[in-house]
Amino acid sequence: MSEDKMQADDATRVASVVDDRDDEFKWHTGKQLPTGVQDAIEFVDVHKAFGRNKILRGLNMGIPEDKISMILGPSGTGKSVCIKHMVGLLYPDQGDIIVHGKSVPMMHDDELFDMRKKFGVLFQDGALFGSMNLLDNVAFPLRQHTDKGEEEVMEIVNRRLAEVGLTNAGDKMPNELSGGMRKRAGFARALVLDPDIVLFDEPDSGLDPVRTALLCELIQEIHEENGGAYVVITHDIMSARRVAEHISVLWKGRIVESGPAEQLFNSDNAFVRQFLAGDSQGPLGME
Amino acid sequence: MVRSVADRAFLPTKNLLEEVGDMMILTGKTISSALRPPYPYGGEFVSQFLFAIKLCWFPLLVSTVAFGFGAPGLQAANFLVIFGALDRLGGFFVLASIREFAPFVTAIVLAGVAGTAITADLGARKIREELDALQVLGVDPVKNLVVPRFLALMLVTGLFNIYALIFGVFGGILATLTNGAPLGPFWATFFTNASTTDLWGSVLKTTLFGAIIAIVCCYKGMTASGGAEGVGRAVNQAVVIAFLGVFAFNYVFTQTLLATHPEILVPR
Ligand SMILES: Nc1ncnc2c1ncn2[C@@H]1O[C@H](COP(=O)(O)OP(=O)(O)OP(=O)(O)O)[C@@H](O)[C@H]1O
Ligand SMILES: [Mg+2]
Repeated sequence: MSEDKMQADDATRVASVVDDRDDEFKWHTGKQLPTGVQDAIEFVDVHKAFGRNKILRGLNMGIPEDKISMILGPSGTGKSVCIKHMVGLLYPDQGDIIVHGKSVPMMHDDELFDMRKKFGVLFQDGALFGSMNLLDNVAFPLRQHTDKGEEEVMEIVNRRLAEVGLTNAGDKMPNELSGGMRKRAGFARALVLDPDIVLFDEPDSGLDPVRTALLCELIQEIHEENGGAYVVITHDIMSARRVAEHISVLWKGRIVESGPAEQLFNSDNAFVRQFLAGDSQGPLGME
Repeated sequence: MVRSVADRAFLPTKNLLEEVGDMMILTGKTISSALRPPYPYGGEFVSQFLFAIKLCWFPLLVSTVAFGFGAPGLQAANFLVIFGALDRLGGFFVLASIREFAPFVTAIVLAGVAGTAITADLGARKIREELDALQVLGVDPVKNLVVPRFLALMLVTGLFNIYALIFGVFGGILATLTNGAPLGPFWATFFTNASTTDLWGSVLKTTLFGAIIAIVCCYKGMTASGGAEGVGRAVNQAVVIAFLGVFAFNYVFTQTLLATHPEILVPR
């Protein structure tokens, strides 16, 4: 898109924001239904803009401990940006992100590196290291953070690759793989250290329906085994129905509604209903 | 309207200044993390060093010989022939090749060949979120990626400068021969004018050129955004900014060197 066109788009968007400022957040009750457990991650009134492009606009969100939480929301609302705030890759312009009681933006570099050891992250595009084959990619966190011997490392790596159905692809380079295979390899790498907090950015995009279903089962199995706070971003309502225990619906940089999954699926909020039903009629249009 | 035109004309300058500030910060970080233990960048340093040599040795050979022969060689020779002073070409080459042209051609070739490769590589990694993934896995990209490139490029540029001035002077020899003159007087005036100050000044200057190129190219790569197109843009900007930086720094360095060592101003 040319710069002029982008500026024009910007202008119309700003204009439309000004037009309906009053009811822009009409559907955002911001209701956080009680979950009965503590929050592992908390967003407190987080604002984040890139240039004039405001992405997070007073986000208040809690991710409960020991549950599989899903963040759902229209494309481009800042879900991936949220994930990057949790691990200190992006800093909020305003507000605070609290992980296990500690403020992430306030951390020193050393503390930050320590805290990140708790995390396993699957980035939206897999983020495999292009210069290493799959085995080395998945082994990387083990070699970086543990003193395990090479044999033990390879045993763990092979087990993880087998779980995601990549047994025979270990010596392939990332650019020789399909998008879905890269996703699955990134998934294996995120889990290889059995982290306390796991962030999956669209683990199911680019996978066929059967593999998506299997991946959902795998997430549940691994969660049952290890516990921990799992955050899954997805556009797939079927996946959400299958594995979500907690759901946050994000739109325009704020929470529309969040709470235990079954309550949200029965919500009477028009936006939440539309989004969770995948309906074309409702508050959300193409814009 | 006027405002937006003004914005469009001046915003790039403002952004450039901000970027220069960021690059200064990156330089500071790079130096401090190069010095602070641990030192995990040895392997990457060696591979970057060899990579730069492999990419640059041939383009640099061709450029320096051709440039030395063409620009200061033939042109200055034509000029000197008028005065019947072709023997002075050797002395001129100290000034031309050692002090200015060799460092310049080295910097241009290294920025264009090795620097762009660095920006493209880091840019692609940034776009694929590899750099984010590294950080989350507890690997500091400055220490593990920028530092080895910074050190390797400084060393390579410094060494290549000597290589470039040898081939540059070879271009001067070719020019002397083309004019049918003997080489003895060329060498005689060359060595009476050359001083160790010239040599170390030249090597120091190019080493710092290497530092500038490395920082600019790493910075542009690590801040690339906007997909594959963004990487292309980053590479383009990296070359432009690296050249500007090198030209500006060259001015400051030459002024300082001449002010602190006035004896090299006097032709002998
Ligand atoms: N580093 C950045 N610099 C500038 N803008 C950014 C940056 N990262 C994200 N954005 C902008 O923030 C907005 C939200 O991006 P984000 O990737 O979080 O969306 P998302 O909710 O994950 O969407 P999707 O579901 O399509 O992945 C986008 O408009 C994007 O252009
Ligand atoms: Mg995303």
